[in-house]
Amino acid sequence: MAATRPNRFPGFDAASQWRHWDAATAGAVMKRLGPPPPFRYFTPDEQSTAVALCDRLLDLEPDCPVNVVAMIDSRLAEAETDGWRYEDMPEDGRAWSVSLAGLKSDAVDRFQIPFAELDPPSQNSIIGAVRKLGSEAWHGLPPDHVWSLWTRYACTAFYGHPFGWNEIGFPGPAYPSGYKNLGLDAREPREKADEGGA
Amino acid sequence: MSGVRDRNASAWLLPNDGTRTNHRLRRDMRRFEDSDEVDAVVVGCGAGGSVMLQRLARRGWHVVGFDAGPFWDPDTDWVSDEAGSHHLYWTEPRVISGSDPVPMGSNNSGRGVGGSMVHFAGYAPRFHPSDFRTLSQDGVGADWPIRYEALRPYYTEIEQELPVAGDFWPWGDPHPYPHRPHRVSGNGEVFLRGAEKMGITAKVGPVAIPNGRFGNRPHCIYRGFCLQGCKVNAKASPLITHVPDALAHGAEIRADCMVTRVEVDEHTGLATGVHYIKDGRRRFQRARIVIVAGYSIETPRLLLNSASKRFPEGLCNDFDQVGRYLMVQGAPQTAGRFDEEVRMYKAPPPEVMSEDFYETDPGKPYRRGFAIQTVSPLPITWAEHVAAQGHWGADLRERMSDYVHWACLGALCEFLPSAENRVTLSRETDRNGLPVADFSYSQTDNDKMLMKAARGVMEEILHAAGAADVITIGRYAHLVGGARMAADERHGVVDSDCRTFAVRNLYIADGSVLPTQGSANPALTIMAVAARAADRLTG
Ligand SMILES: Cc1cc2nc3c(=O)[nH]c(=O)nc-3n(C[C@H](O)[C@H](O)[C@H](O)COP(=O)(O)OP(=O)(O)OC[C@H]3O[C@@H](n4cnc5c(N)ncnc54)[C@H](O)[C@@H]3O)c2cc1C
Ligand code: SF4
Repeated sequence: MAATRPNRFPGFDAASQWRHWDAATAGAVMKRLGPPPPFRYFTPDEQSTAVALCDRLLDLEPDCPVNVVAMIDSRLAEAETDGWRYEDMPEDGRAWSVSLAGLKSDAVDRFQIPFAELDPPSQNSIIGAVRKLGSEAWHGLPPDHVWSLWTRYACTAFYGHPFGWNEIGFPGPAYPSGYKNLGLDAREPREKADEGGA
Repeated sequence: MSGVRDRNASAWLLPNDGTRTNHRLRRDMRRFEDSDEVDAVVVGCGAGGSVMLQRLARRGWHVVGFDAGPFWDPDTDWVSDEAGSHHLYWTEPRVISGSDPVPMGSNNSGRGVGGSMVHFAGYAPRFHPSDFRTLSQDGVGADWPIRYEALRPYYTEIEQELPVAGDFWPWGDPHPYPHRPHRVSGNGEVFLRGAEKMGITAKVGPVAIPNGRFGNRPHCIYRGFCLQGCKVNAKASPLITHVPDALAHGAEIRADCMVTRVEVDEHTGLATGVHYIKDGRRRFQRARIVIVAGYSIETPRLLLNSASKRFPEGLCNDFDQVGRYLMVQGAPQTAGRFDEEVRMYKAPPPEVMSEDFYETDPGKPYRRGFAIQTVSPLPITWAEHVAAQGHWGADLRERMSDYVHWACLGALCEFLPSAENRVTLSRETDRNGLPVADFSYSQTDNDKMLMKAARGVMEEILHAAGAADVITIGRYAHLVGGARMAADERHGVVDSDCRTFAVRNLYIADGSVLPTQGSANPALTIMAVAARAADRLTG
């Protein structure tokens, strides 16, 4: 049900520049284009809820090459957190598990079907309700901190991937080439003008 | 600049063959035994610690610097990529609390030789003379036990050693910089244009990125990844500005060693060395003097974790001062949309700055002020901005695709020190079984007024520059304080020479000692304070 989006940077492909990147960076980035590591943190049940959640949070198209949930799973398995947590939240992995269980139970309460099986508009209404709760606790968690957790992990996965960069005109790594043309409306040959903006 | 090389040859000790690390210097580094009583150990090789180490080594002292993190090699360890740079941060657990908890995110402190400056943005302004006496002048905050004049020569020294590039600086104590200002990108152009329209003075710099080659450090290539570590060796960090010279003068750096406790002899009341963990083994390094420089969270945590019979509430904590008066700056960021392509990811994020609003304005209901600077979030951080406006789903994707049209400014608001903003020990422990830090923060009304005022000015500047839409996100930056400098032990932890009141041979030489923070980015001041403390220590 993902909307068809206008392509504002037709022909722009950040990863096509990989030969111009240093080895350490190329390794880190190109790995994201390959198969994700096996799931280690989420249970299959959590995985199904997380996939549906991230599909809605980022409006992912069915053939989207970014495996957002696999990337979140590997961060949680490796405890690669942001290095802090809110006092009123459990550590990140547990917070994901608890909040995914919360979505599942909300879905069962309201629609008598698991979250992952719901149609996208119903999933959106459940997610949107969490966002609008304000300071009211949701399954024992503060909803604004849950929202921050979800969006931080989901956006890091999606906008850390060349597919996400192509859509926003960001060329990705720039070492050792750097940039020569600075200033408003100045572009390098490898940057493409926005054809759908202004 | 030959004067710099004579007193700190770091930039000339780096390779000039396109690689970034002098491996021979590290391999041939002097190594001490745990049983050697070295002249000093320094805990933490960041902004303050590395300057200390280099200064003491230059004076012929036998010194060992410990760092919990790795001895970085920019070629192999750092990437020109946002998501791949997590390992630069201190990702051991920390808890945040209070009425305005401070999420750290990629704003988190660093872990590894070079400290947080490895991924700092690079702004290097001085504090203003007024920052040293906000209590007597404005009736808020605290007075330092030293005046600005005591730091002036050290500011000049460090500005030459980093070195700093920028326009002549008209604010505070007016002064020039050793390097000419850099050219600016779209984001800087927007700021300059908007400021000019409004009659606000804005200047290019000051940034710790030389404009030109410096020693064997190449010119900046304007690739915009300063907050991910500079793979070019252009942006300053102690890893390249102070550590090489320290090693060349016989200092040892023990990386991947977490110091767990400072030992104090019950009878003499003197520090005798530090306990640390290397490869899972507990060890003890003897030392004549102990200098702690682990950042405003880890320094108080280490003191609190070093409780003993003599110091039941934590080392140097007889008067309940350790961990208190921790400060962050309110750092709201306001972005504006332009028809032109701004492409703010190009060039170093720190470009242009204004200190027109730094001092107390008697016409305003709040005391002290704020600075305004360019900041240039990369896509992941930018997504946080957009998501914070409540956008998600298709809406988020669509707004994100507009990235190249946005320019972004950030303010640094001087939040006032408060005893209640502090580090304590949490019940949670790290993998070594040590209690982690709980960092509690609450804002005052003055703080909130400053945030609002700064936001208003940033919106006006962006509108004046031609922005149609503006959005703002609340943020924080730059932790300092937590073991502050004061006139006596009832008001702080260290004296004006960074020596702890409680233990005669224990010093603190990092951002923890700052009693106020001004609206300036703190690294230059931290280094200047450490350089002065080293001078006082060695006489
Ligand atoms: C994203 C970001 C951007 C920034 N931008 C700017 C800027 O533009 N300008 C500016 O002036 N400042 C900036 N700062 C802040 C600046 O980097 C810090 O204020 C400064 O580096 C702090 O210096 P420090 O000596 O107190 O600690 P650090 O430089 O953080 O050094 C502390 C070191 O101690 C080590 N350590 C801690 N505990 C232990 C232990 N128990 N055992 C062994 N080692 C230990 C750590 O691993 C670390 O390497 C920025 C910071 C961040 C995070
Ligand atoms: S923009 Fe310049 S200073 Fe910043 S990381 Fe890149 S090369 Fe280094």
